[in-house]
Amino acid sequence: MDNSQRTYESTFIINASLDDPQVDAVIGRVQEVITKNGGTVTALNKWGRKRLAYTINKKTNGFYVNLEFTGAGTVLAPLERFFQLDEMILRHLTIQLDRKALTARAQAKAAAAVPVEEVPPVQPREPIFKDTPNDKQS
Amino acid sequence: MLTTRKPRREKDSQVPRKKRTCRFCDAKDIYIDYRDEKRLQRFVTEQGKIIPKRITGTCAKHQRQLVKAIKRARHLAMLPFVSDTIR
Repeated sequence: MDNSQRTYESTFIINASLDDPQVDAVIGRVQEVITKNGGTVTALNKWGRKRLAYTINKKTNGFYVNLEFTGAGTVLAPLERFFQLDEMILRHLTIQLDRKALTARAQAKAAAAVPVEEVPPVQPREPIFKDTPNDKQS
Repeated sequence: MLTTRKPRREKDSQVPRKKRTCRFCDAKDIYIDYRDEKRLQRFVTEQGKIIPKRITGTCAKHQRQLVKAIKRARHLAMLPFVSDTIR
């Protein structure tokens, strides 16, 4: 089997009726499947709860998670199998990121990172109505 | 007898039409990602159909990438396959 390392990306939709800790547990299980089969997770983006464009299994909302990982092609089969078996995962999509996609992602990341550095953190303003209730009382 | 000549009717085909250019070619190095719904939505009708390239002016290369991205987005329920007009 070809053992060259490639970058992949998985996006999956988790049942939105789960609580946040349960959602995290599902994400943890996915990450475990990847790492156990020799892959390494490089990025985890939670897009959060979103409305679905159409109903899937009679559900109108889903929790979107996007996962980037590197590894050999042998990671994919167990991962896909896991996606299918887990009932809390409504949909999944795994794609291989080609060079163009990777450069575009890197640029987007750099663009997103720069403004954050430039903008200084907002100083907490002093509350305008600071001690008025106390004043009134006294 | 004098015959008055009718003024020539302007043919529609003679009116020069503005040539559309591929907006992905104009803005270089845009990677068409299935994740940005907002961009993809521009290339989809209200019903959810993919708009042909003869209307949007997208070049063949980018239309292929666009179609792939739209189909991926549909699979993940980010775009509708068919959107109901009544809602």
